[in-house]
Amino acid sequence: MSLSVETSAAPRRARWLNASRRVHLFAYAMVLPAIVLILGLVAYPFFYAIYVAFTDRMVGSVGNWVGFANFRYLAQTATFSSAIWNTIVIVLVTDVLKLLIGLGLALLVNQNLPGRGLFRAFLMLPWAMPAFVAFLTWRVLYQPIGGGLNLILTQTGLYPHVIDWLGQRQTAMPSVILASVWRGFPFWFISILAALQSIPKDLYEAARVDGANAWERFWMVTFPGIRQVLIITTLLSSIWTANAFEHVWLLTQGGPSDATMVFPVLAFFGMQTQRIGEAAAVSVAMLPVLAILVIVATSMLQKDED
Amino acid sequence: MEQVLRNPARRSEARKRMLTDRQRYWLGRGLTYLCLVAAVIVIVFPIYWMVITSLKLPREIYRMPSLWPRVFTLENFRVLLLDKDFLRPILNSLIVSTVVTVISVLISSCAAYSMVRFRYRFKGLIGRIILFAYLTPTSLLFIPLSILMARMNLGNSLHGLILVYLTFSLPLSTWLLQGYFRGVPRELEEQGMIDGLSRFGALLRIVLPLSAPGIAAVSIFTFTGAWNELLLALVLVTSESQRTTPLALNYLITSDVLPWGPLMAGAVLSSVPLMILYFIAQHFMVQGLTAGSVKG
Repeated sequence: MSLSVETSAAPRRARWLNASRRVHLFAYAMVLPAIVLILGLVAYPFFYAIYVAFTDRMVGSVGNWVGFANFRYLAQTATFSSAIWNTIVIVLVTDVLKLLIGLGLALLVNQNLPGRGLFRAFLMLPWAMPAFVAFLTWRVLYQPIGGGLNLILTQTGLYPHVIDWLGQRQTAMPSVILASVWRGFPFWFISILAALQSIPKDLYEAARVDGANAWERFWMVTFPGIRQVLIITTLLSSIWTANAFEHVWLLTQGGPSDATMVFPVLAFFGMQTQRIGEAAAVSVAMLPVLAILVIVATSMLQKDED
Repeated sequence: MEQVLRNPARRSEARKRMLTDRQRYWLGRGLTYLCLVAAVIVIVFPIYWMVITSLKLPREIYRMPSLWPRVFTLENFRVLLLDKDFLRPILNSLIVSTVVTVISVLISSCAAYSMVRFRYRFKGLIGRIILFAYLTPTSLLFIPLSILMARMNLGNSLHGLILVYLTFSLPLSTWLLQGYFRGVPRELEEQGMIDGLSRFGALLRIVLPLSAPGIAAVSIFTFTGAWNELLLALVLVTSESQRTTPLALNYLITSDVLPWGPLMAGAVLSSVPLMILYFIAQHFMVQGLTAGSVKG
């Protein structure tokens, strides 16, 4: 009797183990293709880039380990210093401008206005425009001959002379920044607007009853409600802006005389001159700062999710 | 209140304050609309300029710029499509973007479903790797990827381009789809499985249809990402027959004479369909953007 019970229980347990293992296997099998592709196409190239940065690889030769030689060489070149400086300037200035414009417009649209949906749709347009189209269009706008910007300035009498916006050292960088802000602010605007709309209305009522004025209400209710979004948006926007290629490439190609040179464009030029080790060193040089931004952003996004 | 009503001086004072409140309200409204209209003008002007430049004759573009074309012409589109053979890059871009979208939505649906529904070791790590991959910029990857593609004999081909575009589309769509799948109640799925569906059947018949809006948004984001990509295409593609739309337009400016008319015609063709789509589906796209912080 007891023997028959044992024999019937044993296969049942085995089947149960089997089922749970099957679920596990299924779960792993489902993520496997994605993970294999991501490891092969992102993780492996990522580490490979770091390795190549420490070699004197050229097109057609594998290259030897040269330690920090590429970085030492880059540190001496003026172009590399301009690239560092310009990248910092572009990231800081565009982030601040996009924050101010995005926040300002989001606060305006967040009011109970007739036609707000239409305004929101229009304010999103640059985000829907492909980056390469946006910057090609701005290149045409900035032209000294036939450009729209000069046309407006001379026709309205704001400034009588034609300016070669992208061709002069003093105006090239502000022009690149203006075009980047135009294309990049909607991301801030939409993110902030969504955060504003999730703030409960009664919080504002309560603050008003307590006698808080508009300024106090902003700092006591609005700001805490959008702080998280502001931090994540700043991180993401900094990562994307520091690594953007199209804006500078399509507007100025880094010129005139390196006035708008940034990391990705410099790395691309290095690639074109076939000195791959050096080119890789350029893009790896920004890795320390980038890594910090990415790690902080990742942990914030993951926390957000839970 | 009674006191105010009884005292005429107080009453007029109250009315005055009421009026100024009202005036302040209308002043605020006016300023709000003024700012918004100004912002819309700044946003629309470049787009307007792109469109009218594409419709102008060359002599008008260079010699007598004006806010409104004197003669409307489709000449630039003819030059672009026939002389510059622009249909080819459009076709290439359509192929690459569509294939990338289909592959990454398929693979990432499976991955996202697995990560949302099951508990297992390394799940946190896998999630972190996907986010890292999403945030790793192309500017860091284009050099090693070009070496790898050359080694695999995939350089200068649409196949190679499709493979490298998965570097950004796969992490993005996995990350976004996780959010959408989390919104599908587990009970519905369990009910389906009691009714005889397999796990995979439940994903196919219950989870995917219920996340259809999310999948549509993810597909549009993935498609746009591949449609807009320039740097990797610039590095990988060398022959004219394999060029994508951004690449073909890029090579139009690097020639000696800058053909602004055809260039803007190309800009119109490669952006207006997308912008109309985003304009119509804005509500939907905004949800996707705020769910997963999507780069435009």
